Amino acid sequence: MKIKVLPIALAFLAGISGLLSAQQKQNDPRAVKIIEGFEDKLNLRGMDLTSTFTLVQKQQGEADRVLQVRVYRRDAADTFTLIFQYPDSEKGKGYFRSKDDLYLYLPSTREFVYRNRKDDVGSTDVRTDLFGQPKILDQYWVSYVGSAKVSKWDCDVVRLDGKALDVSFPIQKWFFRKTDGLPVKAENFSVSETLLRTFYYIDYATVASGKFLFTKLLAVNHLEKGQQTLLTNENLSTAAIPNYTFTKAFLEEQSR
Amino acid sequence: MALYLNMALKNIFRQKKRTFTLGVNYTIVTLILVLLFAFSQGARVNITSNLVRASAGHITVAGQYVVDGRVYQGVLRTPEIERVARETLGENITVLPRYIVRSAMYYKGLSKRVTFVGIDTSRETGFRDQVTFQQGSWAEYVAGPNAVVLPAEIAKYFEIGYDDDVLVSTRTRFGAFNTATLRVKGIYTTSNFFIQNQLLAHFDFLRKLDIADPDAASTVYLYLSSTAGLSAKRDRLVEALTLAGFEAKKPKDDNSALAAVTAASPRYELDKRGVDRVELTLATIDEVLGLVRNVLAAVNAIGTLIAAIMLFIIAVSIFINMRMSINERLREIGTMRTIGVEARGVTGLFVLENILMALIFTLAGVAVALVIVLVMRTAVPLPATGNLGLFLNRGRLSLVPRFLDVLIILAVTTGFTALFSYFPARRGGRIRPVEALTKVF
Repeated sequence: MKIKVLPIALAFLAGISGLLSAQQKQNDPRAVKIIEGFEDKLNLRGMDLTSTFTLVQKQQGEADRVLQVRVYRRDAADTFTLIFQYPDSEKGKGYFRSKDDLYLYLPSTREFVYRNRKDDVGSTDVRTDLFGQPKILDQYWVSYVGSAKVSKWDCDVVRLDGKALDVSFPIQKWFFRKTDGLPVKAENFSVSETLLRTFYYIDYATVASGKFLFTKLLAVNHLEKGQQTLLTNENLSTAAIPNYTFTKAFLEEQSR
Repeated sequence: MALYLNMALKNIFRQKKRTFTLGVNYTIVTLILVLLFAFSQGARVNITSNLVRASAGHITVAGQYVVDGRVYQGVLRTPEIERVARETLGENITVLPRYIVRSAMYYKGLSKRVTFVGIDTSRETGFRDQVTFQQGSWAEYVAGPNAVVLPAEIAKYFEIGYDDDVLVSTRTRFGAFNTATLRVKGIYTTSNFFIQNQLLAHFDFLRKLDIADPDAASTVYLYLSSTAGLSAKRDRLVEALTLAGFEAKKPKDDNSALAAVTAASPRYELDKRGVDRVELTLATIDEVLGLVRNVLAAVNAIGTLIAAIMLFIIAVSIFINMRMSINERLREIGTMRTIGVEARGVTGLFVLENILMALIFTLAGVAVALVIVLVMRTAVPLPATGNLGLFLNRGRLSLVPRFLDVLIILAVTTGFTALFSYFPARRGGRIRPVEALTKVF
């Protein structure tokens, strides 16, 4: 297999210089408006949310891997708790996030391991920060790069450039439906602008007036050929969740 | 004395069956000990030599540095470290910086986590002399800034050939993913265990892939013209680096020394002290090999225990043999005492017989062991895969028998024999002539 080295090397350099210049970058007001609009729609402040995520990871030549996770989310306190429910080998495992601190609970050793808040859930292509409220403007400079069609939707395309290199994907492109401002696709790039993953937001549910939650999402890994993770979000409930749920003790108790 | 020696030699083989039964024990004990010590010494020499030629210096400088509250693995201010090292240890030292990245490699839908070792080819050619190129060449690797040289096993896994491009994706020290393309400019095999899984790339390429500072490195290897007093030399360098503004120290134990040598470049951690600094750990090759030394000492200890058990069996055999021998040779003892040989002389003769027997069969054990060593070193090739490769030198088991070890084994077996034969022999010597000539025990 021959990859064109020169363009990639140039892209590599361009990516680094792009990132460096991104440090002097400013937000594009049009893009900010789009991002703020989308974050407001997905921000569930003022309510608790309980749901069940099912992740199906498909890999070429391997049997599908299925994970089921119960999610408890409270955006007002910037916290969530995830508990693995399936398969049995993962049962009792869970994540607890409080602001920027993320802990992985391992029932086998009964210990909490401090993790990067962008940790991949159960070695799939879905990251834990997908379960909390989005905070794009804190981490990225945003710029409007035009329109594009994704499936049947006309979309606004916004490019994100990491304010610092401590984000997993320093360059991203988000595609927002012009009709309702919700994202339908997000492309994640490396520093050298190689496309690593694409997220397709296939479906949303309305959880309150003007508040949405994605119910179907497909993550495609572009490096591991044929690797995809399909995520479905079911059993949504906005009933109040006891405070105790957002503690480490809750995770320990659930694993017993 | 010559008369005693002559008599002792003749007496040894009077009871051939008994002598050989006991002698075989000496031979086996000696064989075990010589082979064990030869293996241990061979492993030490082999591992040291291979490690120094692959993944460690006589002194390895590793560490971590703190910039803006973040702790990064590796060293910073590499040119300054080199300058201080040359000023302290002499201009003739060799300084080799390395950049190591552990990352995923992708090719045609396959992926694997591998270790890339970035070397500065303008300074370092050690690898060239240790690898055999199946495809490509060292010159082609040196010429290509994004070139990579792969072990044959990895190339086989990916089914990669010369001039193919592979994609590398790594999480940089800052946390962001970075990717790059490397072009295969060589596929190699090697007998050096420590480089058989390493993918050689260029220092600058890997440093940029990791988005590290221009003066950063994973480790710096220092090679000295003489390793005599290495620990003291390292201590002087620690002092000099501390004076130059580094926080330099010795590794606190063998584990830390080994960790320093194997350090790669994982993601940063948060600092708690709030001071920008460069912390260096300077490990000598002896410290790096501390764990190996401990493992070999344990192997030696087990072998020595087995030998000790066999020596105990020999001790019991000596005792029984001596009693039987004295009983059989009562008339001889009586005659010797009658013609004026003192009790000491009789005791000495019996002890001398046993010592000579121990010497003869121990030397036979040494000879057999040396033949086995020769055969293993020349005629028995072993596969260099897995951990066995650690003990192989050019595909043969590295066995290095030492004259000193042989001397110690001889001294132990003869000393041991003298001790355990003395007491029954003394009893034989103390028998009065008249009793010896008339009684049967």
